[in-house]
Amino acid sequence: MRFDFPLITCAVCGTGFWRRLGISLGLGAGILVGPLVAQSSFEALVVDAAGELVSDAVLSLSPLDGQIVPAAAVGGAKISQIKQEYSPYVTAVRTGTPVEFPNLDTIQHHIYSVSKPKRFEIPLYEPGRSEVVTFDQPGLVVIGCNIHDWMSAYVLVLDTPWFSKTTADGRVRFVDLAPGRYRLELWHPRVSKPLSREVTLGTTNGAEPLRLTLTLRPERRLRRAPVPGAGGAY
Amino acid sequence: MFRFRHFGTRLLCIIVGLLAVAQLTTFFFVAQANRRNALAAVEQALDRGARQFEAITRERQAALLLAARSLAGDYALRQLFLGSTFNQDTARSALASYQNRIRASGLFILDPEGGLLADTQSSETPVVEPFRRLLSVAEMEPTAEAAGWGFLDEAALNQIVLVPLFAPHPEIAAWIGMGFTIDRVAAEDLKDTSSLEVTFLTLGETPRVIASTLSPERALELSRLVRPGADVALERLRLGGEEYVSRFRRVETATGQSAWVVLQRSLEVELAPARTLENVLVAFTLASLVVALLIGLFLARSISRPVRRLEEHTRVIASGDYATAIHLPRVDEFGRLAEAFNALSSGLAERDRVRDLLDKNVSPEVAARLLRDGAALGGEEREVTVLFADLRGFTPLSEGLPARELITLLNRYLDRMSAAVEAQGGVVDKYIGDEIMAIFGAPVDCADSADRAVRAALAMRGALAELNRELAAEGRPPLAFGVGINTAQVIAGNIGSRRRLNYSVIGDGVNLAARLQPLTRRAEFATDVIISDFTRAALRGRYALRALGDITVKGKTTASHIHAVDAAE
Repeated sequence: MRFDFPLITCAVCGTGFWRRLGISLGLGAGILVGPLVAQSSFEALVVDAAGELVSDAVLSLSPLDGQIVPAAAVGGAKISQIKQEYSPYVTAVRTGTPVEFPNLDTIQHHIYSVSKPKRFEIPLYEPGRSEVVTFDQPGLVVIGCNIHDWMSAYVLVLDTPWFSKTTADGRVRFVDLAPGRYRLELWHPRVSKPLSREVTLGTTNGAEPLRLTLTLRPERRLRRAPVPGAGGAY
Repeated sequence: MFRFRHFGTRLLCIIVGLLAVAQLTTFFFVAQANRRNALAAVEQALDRGARQFEAITRERQAALLLAARSLAGDYALRQLFLGSTFNQDTARSALASYQNRIRASGLFILDPEGGLLADTQSSETPVVEPFRRLLSVAEMEPTAEAAGWGFLDEAALNQIVLVPLFAPHPEIAAWIGMGFTIDRVAAEDLKDTSSLEVTFLTLGETPRVIASTLSPERALELSRLVRPGADVALERLRLGGEEYVSRFRRVETATGQSAWVVLQRSLEVELAPARTLENVLVAFTLASLVVALLIGLFLARSISRPVRRLEEHTRVIASGDYATAIHLPRVDEFGRLAEAFNALSSGLAERDRVRDLLDKNVSPEVAARLLRDGAALGGEEREVTVLFADLRGFTPLSEGLPARELITLLNRYLDRMSAAVEAQGGVVDKYIGDEIMAIFGAPVDCADSADRAVRAALAMRGALAELNRELAAEGRPPLAFGVGINTAQVIAGNIGSRRRLNYSVIGDGVNLAARLQPLTRRAEFATDVIISDFTRAALRGRYALRALGDITVKGKTTASHIHAVDAAE
């Protein structure tokens, strides 16, 4: 049987990394867990206090009943710099994942983070080059660009292989999970504190998606200053 | 009540007094208006100053925020947080460098929860509280920035700002706090733009001056005058003897303490131009008073002097000296008064002379009447009745008598006759030996001179009879007289030399009267009183007249009707 990991619907997920990750995770899980037990699936719907669908929220499930965790992933993630923005804005990775930072822009960028789990910087580097940073501590790493105040990206480093980012419909879905209790954590760039609760997954499927409500801070993303003749991203 | 003994003094006082009142009133109103204007100007200046203070404070705050924001975005500062541990000493030295760059009085780095990471204060226990208060405000703001006031140590009032250090936006990695001391330079800046005295002070345990453009003594004096409640109040305070209009504005610090900004303007300074005007006005007032005094003196003297001279001259006249004239060469009332005085003197002299003349010539009644009516004594033609009376039988009488007794007897006769004439208002013009010439109707006019003359003749006849009875009693022979009366137009006037004048009448009519008198001697007429037909025609009363026919008198070519006057019925 196959362990599918249809987590990410981003620009890059079809092209390699996520598929590779999914395949490898799936292979590992299949070898170890597959023949033994019946599998559960889990679906959640994330809304904000106003009932609006929330995208870019990361939901993670950490096993509490000794469910077997797949081995560390091979490969990594990628956060590009395109048109003076980071893409994707939110990235979730398992601890120890190397993340590639390709500069796909026409100008230099200076990547940095002063977040405790990963303090690093990639001083001004040329377009076309790519650097890799391995996130070896769990936690939230906020990444900025030293010369472009409006550029920011979030990397949520997690100790569990089961995590997923909500899509534009605010939904997240897990399949083929071992039944049992899990620590559910829901994070979003605009939450002050991640939502955390315990969930127990049974073998019966088809239940209604779990509705989770996040209290979000006001949007305070810096808008990019209009650059004369830049063709106007903003 | 005070009375002026000299008219000049009174005039002087009135002129100078009126002018002084006018000038002082003007001065008073001008000074009052000046003061009102100055106060209004000061109040306006203070309002303007208060607005400027707000604007400057806002601008300064904006500038401080901008500086803090730039600093917070500085990558060098951000790199302090890239290391595995936060190096406080490095941070402090970096802050010191920034402090030097932007001339802040203090720089602080707080962690996102408000804990102090690094600061530039030398103190062991730096004052962080004001920034923590700002932090709670900033967290509510979309910009995550806040600004206000705070005491960063006991003495120093600061404008303080707090901005987030984004790493990256909107993640707040730390807070940057900055303080800018309010010092004398800040006060002077404010004074430069507002022209107001600026003082920052705080009360606390004891009032304390933080910064001031005033002298230290006055600033200290001012700090003692501030009451805790004062805010936006407008007051007039006296500092070092100078009056200041003052506006208080309370400034509350982030930690709830109070400081005051006192904006002031010296009323003296504001009034300075007005004072110049007032001084000019005072000088002008004094000068005009002096001029008024001089003019008043001149006027007073020009009035009192002639008055005094006239007064003296009055005494001269009163003493009987009519010959001295007063000489006042003026064309005004005084000149005319002096002329009137001179006219009075000469009038009085003339009167004296006339009285002298009249006393010798006329009866006192006639003289008085002459003086009263002012009869003209110059030559004039007028109708009079002339009476001549001649004594008969005096020559035989005189032969047997000594000269003394003769004169006595003659005078006795003349006295009786004169009395009879004067009793009828006649004037004894002259005695010619024992002859009497009397005039009726001159010098005083009377319409019935003929009647008066006839009545006088009848009275003389009676008086003579009386005298004869007395003479008979004395054993003397009786006297007789003859009277001629004529009424005619004559020339009357003072006749004679300069040394001796006689008021008399001359003319044909006079001669006729003189010629009628001797006709009484004629026995065929059998009368002692003969009147001409002119007199008869002029008579108004009824008398016992008897026509005597026509007579041609000596020296006349035409005959005259004459009449005898018999005893009245």
